Amino acid sequence: MNNTPRTLNRILIGILGLKLLAVGLLLIALATFPAAASWWQQWSAGVWNGMSQLLQRTSIPGRQESWLWAVLALLLAVLIALMVAWVAQQGKGRSSLILAEDDAEGLPGNVRIGGGVAEQALRAALAERQDLAGATVATYEVRGEPALKIRLQPRQGVAPHLLAADVSALVEALDAVVGKRVPVLIHIGTGARSRFSRAERVR
Amino acid sequence: MNNGTDVRSKGSHAAGNGESGAVSAGSTPDPRGAGMRRILDRETRSSRAGVAGIAAVLVIILCGYGLLEAGVRAIGQPPWLIDPQTAAERIIALPQGIPPLLLGAIGAVTAMAGLFFFLNAVLPGRRARHLLPDRRAGVVADDEVIASALARRARLAANVTQEQVMVVVSQRQVVVNVRPTSGVPVSENAVLAAVLDELRDMAPEPMPEVRVNVATSGVIGA
Repeated sequence: MNNTPRTLNRILIGILGLKLLAVGLLLIALATFPAAASWWQQWSAGVWNGMSQLLQRTSIPGRQESWLWAVLALLLAVLIALMVAWVAQQGKGRSSLILAEDDAEGLPGNVRIGGGVAEQALRAALAERQDLAGATVATYEVRGEPALKIRLQPRQGVAPHLLAADVSALVEALDAVVGKRVPVLIHIGTGARSRFSRAERVR
Repeated sequence: MNNGTDVRSKGSHAAGNGESGAVSAGSTPDPRGAGMRRILDRETRSSRAGVAGIAAVLVIILCGYGLLEAGVRAIGQPPWLIDPQTAAERIIALPQGIPPLLLGAIGAVTAMAGLFFFLNAVLPGRRARHLLPDRRAGVVADDEVIASALARRARLAANVTQEQVMVVVSQRQVVVNVRPTSGVPVSENAVLAAVLDELRDMAPEPMPEVRVNVATSGVIGA
């Protein structure tokens, strides 16, 4: 429902996983096979030689240190910033408006209805139900269009299809009030409150 | 106390994920629009937001340390923990300078962490949820909710207490375990019919198969 970048998540997690896996397997191989150890010492010594020559060639005039260290520091800082940006993308997509339209062509101005209207109305309608341990309503933006997510936590033993039918009737009443059909998702789930509260014995 | 309507829902990664994906994607066009179809598809799969957070924090910590050492080196100050030159030499000399058991253990832990991240990225990440039909809204129900509704129905059909019924709902299967009261026979067919009836009303997608197990030993004094 939210705009978490799922493909990006999969790709980045996959890259990190493959790298960690490769490093781990290399360490295990070094610890167990002598042949791997000798190969590793030769290969990595060669790589390090090349790198230290590069560092010497790129030293700052008049100083010992290479300016490559500053470049490396800068690159790492950029990588950290990218990681922070990635985390900030998770779970985005809440919006505050359920409707923003210009429905009267001749007149200036347009109509905006806040998501709070739908949230308050539905929550008030659901508050009296005995078979619910909790209900939350949130407005999201899906592909630029507003959508409603209704999360219900029924008590144990409540038939989800009957509950969904009742709530969807409420949603249709809301359609009539707002004057537009927004996409609605009803998620019937469990939480600590519904799990540990008493079962609905009589219906 | 809530053993009765108790539910273990398994997010079965292995069981039949390929086919069910094809079924849900290839079904008839949704009257509620293509956007709803996309929302429902996203809602039945994990977003991996938590794992992404862990991965990002890990990378940030590693980069932060590297940044510190590189910055210290760039301005010509003494290193904080270890000089890059010394670190490189130690890494080159690797099987020497560290007990092989410790090296192997570090490698195993790293490889396990890598495998965890990799599998998280590659596996379909299906959540333990089913779609329910509705003419206005898209409805997803957690398997636990479905299981507790089925358990209630099975309990009424078998005429036993809450604690004697356990239902496990997974992607393609519903298992109903009933322990009868000692001396009072439970009709397996009656329970099966009741659960099937409830499932038919509910019409979850994908539709699971039902299996009823009536235990041979009864419960005394229930």
